[in-house]
Amino acid sequence: MLMLIWKNISRRRSQSVLTVTITLLTVMVFVMVLGVFQTVNRGLALSRERLGADAVLVPKYSSVDGGELLFTAMPENVYMPASVWEQAQALDGIAAMTHQFYAQSLALGCCDPGEEVRIIGFDSATDFILKPYLSEEQQREIDPEELIVGSNFEDDDLVGYNYMLLGKVLKVTAMLEATGSGMDSTFFADIDTVRTMCMESEVLSQNWTNKDPFDHISVIMIKLEAGVDPQEFVKYVADSGIEAKCLLTGDTIASLQSQLEVTMQVMFALWLASLLIAVLSLVGRFNALAKERKKEIGLLRAIGLKKPQVFGLIIGETCTMALMGGALGSAAALLCMDPVIAMLQGAFKLSPSVWTVQLSLLCGLAGILLAGLLGFGAAVMPAYRSASMDPQSAITQGEV
Amino acid sequence: MQICKLEHIHKDYRMGEIVSPLKDITLTVNSGDFIAVEGPSGIGKSTLLYVMGTLLQSDAGSYFFAEQDLSRMSDNQRSELRAKKIGFLFQDSTLIQALTLRENLIFSQGVGGKKDMKQIDVLLERFGLADRADFFPHQLSGGQRRRAMAARALLHKPALILADEPTNDLDEHWSVEIIKALQEEAARGAGVVMVTHNSQWAQFATRRCRLEDGKLVDME
Repeated sequence: MLMLIWKNISRRRSQSVLTVTITLLTVMVFVMVLGVFQTVNRGLALSRERLGADAVLVPKYSSVDGGELLFTAMPENVYMPASVWEQAQALDGIAAMTHQFYAQSLALGCCDPGEEVRIIGFDSATDFILKPYLSEEQQREIDPEELIVGSNFEDDDLVGYNYMLLGKVLKVTAMLEATGSGMDSTFFADIDTVRTMCMESEVLSQNWTNKDPFDHISVIMIKLEAGVDPQEFVKYVADSGIEAKCLLTGDTIASLQSQLEVTMQVMFALWLASLLIAVLSLVGRFNALAKERKKEIGLLRAIGLKKPQVFGLIIGETCTMALMGGALGSAAALLCMDPVIAMLQGAFKLSPSVWTVQLSLLCGLAGILLAGLLGFGAAVMPAYRSASMDPQSAITQGEV
Repeated sequence: MQICKLEHIHKDYRMGEIVSPLKDITLTVNSGDFIAVEGPSGIGKSTLLYVMGTLLQSDAGSYFFAEQDLSRMSDNQRSELRAKKIGFLFQDSTLIQALTLRENLIFSQGVGGKKDMKQIDVLLERFGLADRADFFPHQLSGGQRRRAMAARALLHKPALILADEPTNDLDEHWSVEIIKALQEEAARGAGVVMVTHNSQWAQFATRRCRLEDGKLVDME
């Protein structure tokens, strides 16, 4: 039986290639949709889990986008008076807070990284954002000449090397563990060092002609006390008269999640349509196969094959082809995933992916399983009809 | 020894109007019988073989094979019977297209639960197909395909051999060889039923019948 299954597949090459190709394309799309969905969901879950801040205070009239702020490393040069820090200290319900100062490297600056990279000046005395991603010995006050880099710069181990940013040489003392957020593509230095760099940079200093960066901060990250309702806290901040607005990090994630869910639903609908087309094509293919080989099926019954054996033969043949298509489709999808995820990161302001070997294997296996089900589902009726055919009429009416 | 027995077999086809090729067929096939059933084309000779081969169920009458009532057998039991006890030489060319000639024979033998490569080689030699063993059915001539089908029908040494116009597509030499092979099978103890419209080959049978108006009439 196995011999006949294999010979039927290998010796009816053009028909087999067609069937395998239909399955391959369907499974490829499925695995990619599944992979993207899983990656995005996991990325968001990871960000939610790791994000140290419950809320973030940003300049009152800035149009800063929470998604860009939290999940991308896009430079956002927004500032508010440093006095907001004192105002915020008077607020109730805060368990911890820390302030940051944003700047950026220059795309064309001499000795700079060659692209605009976000630089965050942080206050190591109050920081609770970076700490979870630093080893114990790295959790100390940062010196003015030191630099911490995100995990995405890890072409090589940069620790110990000097790095030139905005004309200033800083020594890399630590690399963050991967955070799954925009922090992975960010440089971190002492807040006053970054302020000094802004003043001394020929380009960035133009933004500070009438202002002193030492009197400004960009954001205040806030960890709320247990039991404080984040929504109530936002109202409380708005009513307090503080010169900042409060964004909830959970809201940002929820909003991103909601956008992604809609997008995924559209992708899923498209995939469902392609699945339907594939099922119809395969049903057509397998029906044609059963008709083409009506006489042969009659012969198999005549020489003594039982109905379940004929059914098994056809199902075995179709499922083998479908599984081959599934395996190839899964492999092709996995090969294409990296560039696709990179594209989606840009489109959805997503954190660096959490596309792991384990996840890719799971998606690949799901694809192969789907292919098997697809082959079985599309072939079950033609196979049942063929197996149930009266052998005499199959032989006398069938054509080879 | 009785191999099979048909009693008052009746078979209708509904093709717009009812056509009854078999109206009242009674026939006993014993071990060693070589029965030729003659009659013009379209009279129902093949239908008779399909009923005897358990590929078609009659509408009335009884069919016993090795004294077992076929009407009480399940589909699986009838399949088993075909695999082990019946050899069918069809009128039309029927071979599995994806398999070579040798593979066709190996597969058929396997369905009956046997594996005897030597016997396959003997039959291929016997029917002049040894040098075509690795050819696919579409690479064979009509006569070669018919000889291949004969080899397949005899492969599992069946108790009953049903040959439907076995000399079609064959030249004189190979027609004689096929008839000789059927005679040898009868001599071995098998029951052979051959339908033909050509009385030249019918005369080699030990018993000759004519199918007329749905009934079998002995010619001797």
